[in-house]
Amino acid sequence: MEKTERSKTKLINNQPYDESLDVNDSEEIASIYTPTPRQTVSRSATRIQNNMATNSSDEFEEDGKQKKKGVEGGQHGLSENEEEEEDDDDEDDDSDETESDDEEGEQGSAPEGAYDPSDFDHLPVTAEIKELFQYITRYTPQTVELDHKLKPFIPDFIPAVGDIDAFLKVPRPDGKPDNLGLLVLDEPCTKQSDPTVLSLWLSENSKQHNITELKVKSIENPEKNPKAVENWIESISELHRSKPPATVHYIRPMPDIDILMQEWPPEFEELLGKLSLPTADMNCDLAEYIDIICGILDIPVYKSRIQSLHVLFTLYSEFKNSQHFKALAEGQKTETPPSTHTGPAEADTLTLE
Amino acid sequence: MILSRVKPAVGGDGPTSVSEKKRKNKAKKIPRLEDYMNQRDYMGAMTLLEFQDSGGIVEEHAGLWIGYCSFHLGDHKRSMEEYKALTLKEDCPEEVWVHLGCSLFFLGLYKEAEEAALKGPKCQMQNRLLFHLAHKVFSDEKKLMGFHQNLEDVTEDQLSLASIHYMRSHYQEAIDIYKRILLQNRDFLALNVYVALCYYKLDYYDVSQEVLAVYLQSIPDSTIALNLKACNHFRLYNGKAAEAELKNLIDISSSSFEFAKELIRHNLVVFRGGEGALQVLPPLIDVIPEARLNLVIYYLRQDDVQEAYNLIKDLEPTTPQEYILKGVVNAALGQEIGSREHLKIAQQFFQLVGGSASECDTIPGRQCMAACFFLLKQFEDVLIYLNSVKSYFYNDDTFNFDYAQAKASLGNYKEAEEVLLMIQNEKIRNDYVYKSWLTRCYIMNKKARLAWELYLKMETSSESFSLLQLIANDCYKMGQFYFAAKAFDALERLDPCPEYWEGKRGACVGIFQLILAGREPRETLKEVLPMLRSTGNPQVEYIIRILKKWAKDNRVAISFQGS
Repeated sequence: MEKTERSKTKLINNQPYDESLDVNDSEEIASIYTPTPRQTVSRSATRIQNNMATNSSDEFEEDGKQKKKGVEGGQHGLSENEEEEEDDDDEDDDSDETESDDEEGEQGSAPEGAYDPSDFDHLPVTAEIKELFQYITRYTPQTVELDHKLKPFIPDFIPAVGDIDAFLKVPRPDGKPDNLGLLVLDEPCTKQSDPTVLSLWLSENSKQHNITELKVKSIENPEKNPKAVENWIESISELHRSKPPATVHYIRPMPDIDILMQEWPPEFEELLGKLSLPTADMNCDLAEYIDIICGILDIPVYKSRIQSLHVLFTLYSEFKNSQHFKALAEGQKTETPPSTHTGPAEADTLTLE
Repeated sequence: MILSRVKPAVGGDGPTSVSEKKRKNKAKKIPRLEDYMNQRDYMGAMTLLEFQDSGGIVEEHAGLWIGYCSFHLGDHKRSMEEYKALTLKEDCPEEVWVHLGCSLFFLGLYKEAEEAALKGPKCQMQNRLLFHLAHKVFSDEKKLMGFHQNLEDVTEDQLSLASIHYMRSHYQEAIDIYKRILLQNRDFLALNVYVALCYYKLDYYDVSQEVLAVYLQSIPDSTIALNLKACNHFRLYNGKAAEAELKNLIDISSSSFEFAKELIRHNLVVFRGGEGALQVLPPLIDVIPEARLNLVIYYLRQDDVQEAYNLIKDLEPTTPQEYILKGVVNAALGQEIGSREHLKIAQQFFQLVGGSASECDTIPGRQCMAACFFLLKQFEDVLIYLNSVKSYFYNDDTFNFDYAQAKASLGNYKEAEEVLLMIQNEKIRNDYVYKSWLTRCYIMNKKARLAWELYLKMETSSESFSLLQLIANDCYKMGQFYFAAKAFDALERLDPCPEYWEGKRGACVGIFQLILAGREPRETLKEVLPMLRSTGNPQVEYIIRILKKWAKDNRVAISFQGS
């Protein structure tokens, strides 16, 4: 409190600006140029004088004439010199919180290059001008104390690393050691199963279609989270792929696919090298064409051709997905017809009438 | 793992798992619980348990398993509910109470945790839990020591003790325990991460990285380890490097993965230099201990000192970081509102941190000492500390501002001027403290013209008036009488007090002296006469007469000679 008040006072700058209250003899005029002997004046004394000297300016107004000016000039020289001597002390005093503000009466320091009237002693001037020069030292510039402002350093942001395992953890119900926190950190692995996908998968594989409430989560902001969407799609198609192929109950007996996949007799194979199989361009309608193809492939055709066609496409699908034939086909660079894939996985069970 | 939670977790939203996960398990066999356990796929395990339950297959201790899985998944709310339900059953094993206590502990429900723990049987786990509870909430040293004495020389108890050391910032003690156990059990790889965490806290980021690498080599996708690695990168390099590391972790995590999500969100804000702080950090206050501090730092950076103070005023500091922040906030606020009390607190906190054995040689520790001495106005000491860390703060405006003031206060105006001119921050440059020190430096470095120009750029205000006084007196002191005269002249116009007249009178004569000495062009005399004349004092004529006489004798033209 005290301090702020004081520094306010100081800002107004109405503080003592000269130290000339010492009553000096006119003889001391000479000391303007050799002020050293006066160094011993104690600083505290100066300070007190300063404090009392607030209104001293009037004196100057009145005296106005040469003699006294001379005196004051001498005084000034003295004080400047004194400051130089006490340079070192200044810092200490500054640090002294309560005292530091009292000191504006004295120059904080005599900085390098400060005005020194003795620099101009050599000037060849008239007595009149020399007298005029006394005006310079008659005003003692105030030492304006500047405020300091600490810009406190702002620390860096602090990342969080978490705490160390305190071994406050529940053990396995079966009493086996889980070694969590010892062999591995007690943290879940980053790849956690998706409950929905896993539930579907479990019910599929266990043939228990008993999931009454399937938790399907929705994805917030899907446009911002394409990864989640893609992963979902992938895991569901993965699920479908892993499902067993659909079973179809044929009304009439049908040959096993494996039998149909057997090689043709060698003569037939030989013939195929020369002839190509009939294409859809044949001059016949679709039903006839189906009959012909099924005939070639040993697929029986009954009243309805649908079941026969199902066998046909199953056979096609088997060939297409067979690693063996794929490699074979690629090796021969034979053209494979564009796949019109009708995955059997699309329906779980199909009963054809 | 967050043990430091203060805010109870129950009441908010439980973790919501979003679906999207693939299981490449093509075997058509139904997986066993054990498979999920081995992979720490607790979501999978719980799904399996629930599935079996709905299918009528009764797994022995299914409830306990669900509790176990949700606990280790970090879903302590779920495990708490599970255990609570179990305690209501008649044939409930006693230990379940301790399990419930553990779950409650992690939810920040410490009172309930203690109640539950005390209902369980006396066992090591119960003691450990009570030990941690004593440390955490009740801060009852006597109680703490009692539980401490009950700890046995078994691995779990020793590790639990080590974690208390860690939380009390006794990192070396913790490291000692971990190293001792590691010597006996080389396969306890997780302990390497604990050691790495300690080294991180000790600011040995390189060592931390090294020790951490041992663990990551065998478990490359560990969340805790990767997060620590990111934090090490942040300290060693920058936020970008750290974010890349964290991104890595986010990419490999399935989105049903909720563990440590808060930690990751928090650290992303940190690594991005505070981006999103206002959205992310407030709900994490008292969940992640750093969240509050980071929000304070954010406000400080936004110059919102009051908001920063509100957040931190009730915080009882325990870590150096907390002391530092409290010091910084008090220093900023104290100067803003002119409160000595705040400044005193700031100075004490700075001294405490800067003088502590652990911080005295860290950069923040040195900054603290510098700040402490700055507030005490012991600028020689300020410089000792600032110089010791100067190389880390080249071009740092805040640092340079303090540094320049200290330099200038000790009379090193040349360097102070250079440093002041390096400052770019507009807010600092417009601060009167900046302007006044720069003005003084200019004048002391004999560049009074620049000081005058600085004044001319200011709008008329009490600050510009003060600056004028500074220029007048400092220029006078330095024998730069031309600008001293101009400044006194301006002052006298604003406030015709005799003091200014005396200053102007002396300065004008000073100009004359400089002209005679050949250090000021003779033409300047032309400007001197009107300045003198503007004052209605009888001395004016006396002085002008002498000046004119000299001008006449030396044939110097004075424009208004005739008048």
